Amino acid sequence: MLQFDTTEIEKTPRADLLTRHTKKVLKGNSAAAIAAKLSRVSLVTAYPITPQTSIIEEIADMISKGEFDAEIVNMESEHSVFAALIGASLTGERVFTATSGQGLFYAHEVLHAIAHMRLPVVACNVGRPSFPWNIWADQTDSISQRDTGWVQFYCESSQEVLDTVIQSYRLAEKHKLPVMVVLDAFYMSHTSENVYIPDQKMVDEFCPPREKTDDQINLKHPKAFGGLVGPDIYDKYNRLHWESICKVEKETNQLGHEFDEAFGRKYAAVEAVNINEKTKKILVTMSSITTTARQVVSRHPEVGLLKIRLFRPFPKESVLKVLDTVSDDCLIINIDRNFPGETEGAMMQEMKRALHGVPNKIFGVFAGLGGRDVSSKTIENILEVDFRAPGAEQVIWVT
Amino acid sequence: MVDISKLIEVRGHARGGQGMVTAFEILAKIFSYRYNYEVQAFPFFGVERTGAPIQAYLRISPETILTRNYIYEPHLIIIFDEGLIEQTPVFDGLTKEGTLLINSNKPPEYFKGKAKHIYTIPATDISVENKLGSKTLPIVNAAMVGAMLKILGADIGEAMEIIKDEVPAKPDANAASAETAFRQVKEFTDEHYQPAQNGQSPPAGKEPNWEVPFWDQPMSINKTGNWRVVAPKYEDLEAPCTDNCPAGTNVRKFVKLASEGMFKEAYETIYEHNPFPAICGRVCPHFCQQNCNRIFLDDKVNIGAIERFIGDKNGQYQHKPEPVQYKEKIAVVGSGPAGLTAALRLRKLGYEVTVYEALPKAGGMMRSGIPAFRLPPYVLDKEIEKIQHQGVEVITEKRVTIDELDGKYSAIITAVGSHIGSNLRIGSNEQVIDGIEFLRKLNISGNQEQIKAGDSVAVIGGGNTAIDVARTVLRLGGKPTIYYRRTRQEMPAIAEEVEEAMKEGVPIQFLTAPVGLEEKNGRYELIIQKMELGEPDESGRRRPVPVEGSEYSVMTDKLIKAIGQWPDPFVFSGNEIEARQGRLDEKLAGSKTPVFCAGDMAWGGTVVEAIGSGNDVAGEVDAFLREKEWEKPEKAKEIATHDKINYRYYLPTPGNPTPVTTPENFVNNFAEVAGGLPEDVIIEEAGRCLHCGECFSCGNCLNYCPDAAIFIDDDYRLRIDYDYCKGCGICVRECPCAAIQYDEKNRLSEEKEPKELHQK
Amino acid sequence: MGLKDKVMIPENEFLITEESIHGGALSCRGCGWTLLARYVSNVMGPETVYVVPACCFSIIAGPNPMNLLKGTVVHTVFAAAAATATGVRRALDRQGKIDANVVVLAGDGGTFDIGLQALSGAAARQENIIFICNNNAAYMNTGVQSSTGTPVGARTTTDPQGKKLPAKNLMGIIEAHHIPYSATASPAFLTDFKTKLQKARDATGFRFLMVDGPCPPGHKHDPDRSIELARLAVETNYFPLFETENGRFNITYTPNVKTPVSEYMKHQGRFSNVMREKSGNGLETIQHQVDQNWEHLLNKQTSN
Repeated sequence: MLQFDTTEIEKTPRADLLTRHTKKVLKGNSAAAIAAKLSRVSLVTAYPITPQTSIIEEIADMISKGEFDAEIVNMESEHSVFAALIGASLTGERVFTATSGQGLFYAHEVLHAIAHMRLPVVACNVGRPSFPWNIWADQTDSISQRDTGWVQFYCESSQEVLDTVIQSYRLAEKHKLPVMVVLDAFYMSHTSENVYIPDQKMVDEFCPPREKTDDQINLKHPKAFGGLVGPDIYDKYNRLHWESICKVEKETNQLGHEFDEAFGRKYAAVEAVNINEKTKKILVTMSSITTTARQVVSRHPEVGLLKIRLFRPFPKESVLKVLDTVSDDCLIINIDRNFPGETEGAMMQEMKRALHGVPNKIFGVFAGLGGRDVSSKTIENILEVDFRAPGAEQVIWVT
Repeated sequence: MVDISKLIEVRGHARGGQGMVTAFEILAKIFSYRYNYEVQAFPFFGVERTGAPIQAYLRISPETILTRNYIYEPHLIIIFDEGLIEQTPVFDGLTKEGTLLINSNKPPEYFKGKAKHIYTIPATDISVENKLGSKTLPIVNAAMVGAMLKILGADIGEAMEIIKDEVPAKPDANAASAETAFRQVKEFTDEHYQPAQNGQSPPAGKEPNWEVPFWDQPMSINKTGNWRVVAPKYEDLEAPCTDNCPAGTNVRKFVKLASEGMFKEAYETIYEHNPFPAICGRVCPHFCQQNCNRIFLDDKVNIGAIERFIGDKNGQYQHKPEPVQYKEKIAVVGSGPAGLTAALRLRKLGYEVTVYEALPKAGGMMRSGIPAFRLPPYVLDKEIEKIQHQGVEVITEKRVTIDELDGKYSAIITAVGSHIGSNLRIGSNEQVIDGIEFLRKLNISGNQEQIKAGDSVAVIGGGNTAIDVARTVLRLGGKPTIYYRRTRQEMPAIAEEVEEAMKEGVPIQFLTAPVGLEEKNGRYELIIQKMELGEPDESGRRRPVPVEGSEYSVMTDKLIKAIGQWPDPFVFSGNEIEARQGRLDEKLAGSKTPVFCAGDMAWGGTVVEAIGSGNDVAGEVDAFLREKEWEKPEKAKEIATHDKINYRYYLPTPGNPTPVTTPENFVNNFAEVAGGLPEDVIIEEAGRCLHCGECFSCGNCLNYCPDAAIFIDDDYRLRIDYDYCKGCGICVRECPCAAIQYDEKNRLSEEKEPKELHQK
Repeated sequence: MGLKDKVMIPENEFLITEESIHGGALSCRGCGWTLLARYVSNVMGPETVYVVPACCFSIIAGPNPMNLLKGTVVHTVFAAAAATATGVRRALDRQGKIDANVVVLAGDGGTFDIGLQALSGAAARQENIIFICNNNAAYMNTGVQSSTGTPVGARTTTDPQGKKLPAKNLMGIIEAHHIPYSATASPAFLTDFKTKLQKARDATGFRFLMVDGPCPPGHKHDPDRSIELARLAVETNYFPLFETENGRFNITYTPNVKTPVSEYMKHQGRFSNVMREKSGNGLETIQHQVDQNWEHLLNKQTSN
């Protein structure tokens, strides 16, 4: 089992690789933009939306300065942003875009199309909710895209954003699946912190250019893409899609391992901190809340932390493996920064599904919606809740 | 009858647009509302296109229906379109005791082996009778509902209201259709029926080749030819020009050849039917031209000028005399167009032919009745010489009777024409000059004494003779005036000639008739009565009716009649015999040798009609001598009349009229008035032909076919690919010249040959 | 000079010799879509990527496993054909395939209505693509519902009594984008159509063609009348043929004689309500609008 240290958040490269990195203080959005450049993305479509805007601004800036060899197209909507990626990706380019909240909602139709056309698009989403207007951290936007057929990673740091984007192209192009890399609004998008930028050669070795394959547009061999498919075959395409999705969790772990070897930073589908037979409570988190939770967990030896990095497809095997050692009375507390219009948050739903048959009790906490700050105090408060008390709610809201 | 005490599953096969889905819904409602059944009616929701094969399903049950899937093993199969049988597996899965209903005119026994119980109903006929749908797609659903109600043992009366309510339009016609069908269903039960296969299961489906949904098989694996309800096909129609040529000349063909500069071939085409193209090019009224469809666009094609040009090139072409191969000899009396044509035909068939002519030169009325300024004698000489060169013997200045020839020949053809002028009701033979005789004298001897310079001459009549006489008088220095009892519109003379005469200054008094004549001081006082037009007579022209009290008198030096001609009975030794085309009654002719009759004396009155008559009589004589049945060549049934021509595609282009010279001084000027057109103009004029009824590879069909179902074969011909033709009819409608027709008999019109060519 | 050239009008000279579509199209009988596809593919050549949003043509172009066109087809979402085409174009350009054509084939819904935003965006960017709208003036693929391209008076399933308002002036909107080439075209005027396709192909930047799209089931006429009606649409000035080339407006066909619009409308069931009105008010209004529009175009031509 992959156990991480609480301090692993720093993600400092291994000493032998340090010289091949440049240390910079960067915002999450900048890290995303640089990751796109390092991945040698060739085409970016852009449409502004807070708090994503600086990603495309920085890309545009790098391209205009000649630092980044790619096309950037200013589209008229997020719907078009993604629709253009259909065309470019089918033609064989490595494409990238970034959006947020309303933009992602607006593009929903196209997300399905991209996934079912099996296009290796990688897009960053800076999470923010829907109406009434709100621009702060919230994962409801990307959570509500979980059934589109995209792979979803939720990142905890600028470094992770950069690294995950690079890994995503490997995954996307190998399995012909689009990947969404999610970062929290402001806590990540606009937070400047240390990022180790690998040199281009390292990235090129890890993530070679997209292969020319026969399932792309080839003017010499005309084909029709995405036309009407009847009941006699439609489900067969779904089945192929499912087969690829089934491989993602294992692939993510494998890629994390390879990435560690190449760059000296470890990644996996999930991350377990302080989870063992003595753990009494496990906090399950995604994105920026994880960092704060690390701090709290470091003060509570009986509390463990399970970070869900790969959310779609949900890494059931990894989660089960992490929880394999814990005692039956260990409580599992999911912190959901999303409201999917259900009695439970999305992560709690997924965990319940993953832990079917596991005796541990599962609880849910809605926290941090619409950008409400989740501090260490908030997390302490969560830990103070007596979920075992008679009549205690299974799902609670904390502020 | 189908047992409906339990669940009945029905599967229907139809074409998009025939109304099957509505039919099944109507049946569901009838069984629900009237019989309190549980029902389900639903289509296979696919890519429905008008004419494409579709499926629908119907369940009716006295109990709750506990299924929602498609029907694979129906109790009853309904086929809305018989054509689908060969195209889709319509019979699949029918149960052993199953029932089949087919929309077909055929008896149910025809479909033996397909089911145990078979019913047929002529639903298409019933629907067409009730004006439901169109020829390309009759809407047969009401009739099919009627037939199904019968098979399901329901009451048609109770269903009526529902049918009327549910059909989208024409409730009464639909109800009538259903009722008729209910009564007309025919049944056949095959007790020994064994199903070929048991059941059908849902298709397993295809496997994708790639994760990315793309594909590259050509659409052509989808044969849309089976959507077709009517089939277009290339089929030439006769052109009105050809159809209207009494000689049978393939006018369209020679004009087309001329437009391509292929004058020799054009000449040969004319010569097949008409040995006088140079003559006809000048004097024929050109029924071809008069019926030219181009008149409805701008102006007729000047076929006359084209023919004249081709004819005038005759010096360049040689005809080889054919060897005599039969012992029978044939005599022809009269060397006019009919006689010479008949003689040439028979000579070319291998008979020895002798033509007898009373006058010093051959040519008949062409020689004697047409003035030189319209038909110069050298033109006539050249074409007659060609006939003689081909072996026809012409004996001139020999006026013969049948009696003289009797026994010396195997057949005699009389073609003596009509050279005796009809009499006016006024004046004596001394007072009134016969126009036809006047022309004859002048043409044969080159002079005459009757008309002197300065004479005023009244010419009575409205035919070509009257016009020719008047214009001749003009050239003799006289002052002619034509009196005609109707208007210019009814004039039988060739319109262009009338025009010319007027241009030359011949006054024509229309709606006038001479009613009295008196000699006064060596001149004549002519009493003229004015006429008005009444009801049409048998000829279709409006009858002239005298206007009472309108008489007036004119003074004239000479009076010439030109109101009609009769045959000279001399050939029948003076017996007045009613001559008619073909073989004359033996007794009537009074000879042992069979006598045939042709030309003006039999019918017609123009050179071209005489030529046609000569062609026919030659055919008849040959058939008689060879003891064959002869039938006049049948006229084409369907003509590319102007209503079939799509004028939008033709470029309006002014015609090239025949140049006509009006001489400054007429006296003794018998030079030809009408001129020829130069070769480039002839080619241009022939190029104006609309090609009525004959494909000229314009490519409209190819251009406009929405289904890419027209192709050009190895012989550069346009062809229809019936694998893909949906029968939309655009090619038929957009064909400019009516060369594509609907194949009424065979809607799936298959031509195996072009398909193979296409694959090359 | 063949027989044809001597006697026929030059307007229908466009002979397709190298067929660039396959037979077997899933179009209704007499459909304008496949006709259009034949002409377009013939001019564009095989190295063309066609982008098709939801419309009748997404079916006609070939369901699995078939392709109607002898070129590449990318089916995309209804609202964003011009955006997908943008992506294809930019990607091809990056690959140095600047000579390949990228052509959107959209219906009027995907042009006038749901597709307008992406269309306008691409036009404003001067995206180097050709956008061709087969304007059959209603949502035909879904069974004849009104679009903003549906003309006044036409009956659809969502305007059963006939549409009350006239169609959007899309060509005006397009023109306002100052693109290098825009034109209307008709399947009945092939020489004109071909010239416009060639001009569109040879220009650089955003190019737009609106082609009149006959639709027998939607317009409710016999399938064999498709071309005749397309021609009448032009002859009556109901669907005038014009182009704007680098800002220069030009009427490309002027009817020789004035034909009343009723000649065009009377054969189509969709206008039966207009034609039935004995008072003729509806018809007169339509004629007036057609005349006014034509007058407007003539003035525009003059003021060039």
